[in-house]
Amino acid sequence: MLFTWFMLTGLILLFAPHDFTGKFQLAFVHIFRWPLSIGGNVALTARTPPSVEGAKQRSEAQYRNYVENLKQTLDEQTRKLEKLSGLYNTFVWEGADFALADVIIKTIDGSRNEMTINCRKTDGLMKGQYVLGDESVIGTISEVFPQIAKADVKLVTDSTSWIPVEVAGIKTIMTGSGNNAAKIVALKKEVKVEEKVFALKNLKEGGFLDAPIIVGKVVRCERNTQMASVWDLTVAPVCDIKSLEDVAVIIINPPK
Amino acid sequence: MRWFRFAALILTVTILQKGVLARWDNKPDLLLIALVFSATYLNTSDAIISSFIIGFAADLVGSPIPMGPHMISFGVFGTLLAYLNRVIAIRRLPYQALAIFVMGILAGVLTHVLAGESLSRSMFAVVLVTSLYSGFVGPFLVAPSAWWIGIRTGRLRRR
Repeated sequence: MLFTWFMLTGLILLFAPHDFTGKFQLAFVHIFRWPLSIGGNVALTARTPPSVEGAKQRSEAQYRNYVENLKQTLDEQTRKLEKLSGLYNTFVWEGADFALADVIIKTIDGSRNEMTINCRKTDGLMKGQYVLGDESVIGTISEVFPQIAKADVKLVTDSTSWIPVEVAGIKTIMTGSGNNAAKIVALKKEVKVEEKVFALKNLKEGGFLDAPIIVGKVVRCERNTQMASVWDLTVAPVCDIKSLEDVAVIIINPPK
Repeated sequence: MRWFRFAALILTVTILQKGVLARWDNKPDLLLIALVFSATYLNTSDAIISSFIIGFAADLVGSPIPMGPHMISFGVFGTLLAYLNRVIAIRRLPYQALAIFVMGILAGVLTHVLAGESLSRSMFAVVLVTSLYSGFVGPFLVAPSAWWIGIRTGRLRRR
């Protein structure tokens, strides 16, 4: 009988509205709030706070990461400084400046050979300026985007590229032929393979150079198909453009 | 049976369960230990009454579970254990620990079922861990509880 009555009471509590029965729970907590709070304080005092240790570990990890990032940035800036120093030592030109840039995108696809560079310093950059890679001319600036600090570079092997060059003492024009190669056509003199080709200043396009800079080397010399008395040269860049990560733009008479 | 002392014991246990122990993630269920103690050391009618009272106390501090499931599950299994104790005396510590463990699982599962909760792995894990902790701790609390209520535990008693 006892069991039945108590079961009935339990079932009534179970099926009663929760809003009503919840008041019993709240009433208990309210009546005994003081001993319950004492118990809570004891528990908090006795318990080691893992969250503080966790936060400390997290702070340490953040500091370690910050230090690693700083080290990497320092290494990067040191490398760029050395590169710049090398450039200034190699090309002792008055009124010349160099803007270092990172290569973002390279497109060496058929007749289209170009790249996009990320140049922090866009002051003084203009179309036609020569771009150096591994201390050789690899192309010219074709477009500048100062708002996003980027510029497009037309490589010397691009089919629309043409720059004045000198090979074996002869001044002529070199045009791009695509597929990472350039050509010099209708040369009056036969040139040996491995002969160096130097870029000259290109006043018409804005490519200023105070001294010739190597741009490529002759890989093939054959007679012109239409005029047997002249020679056609195939020139390959001396810089491995595919593995190039950063370049330098020659700015002659930079703005002050 | 000293009911006043029993009521004070249950109230103290309830406050400890809701106060100090509530801050710990894995903890024993002191009310479950009190249930097994009352079912094994009290006479049958006292065991039934105390089982439902302990269940009611568990309902009071069982938020967010609404009231009712604890009272029913503790009452049912406390009554069953009381009747079982008439046949198999549960006096030795290992048996008491086992009884607490089994009762914890059974009462815990029934409580969550009556509360309308789904039988999930996390629920089983909580019930299992609580029962384990209670089984470890419970047998050591029997003697002081019996002393407080005035029950002699040294030998079997005819009830």
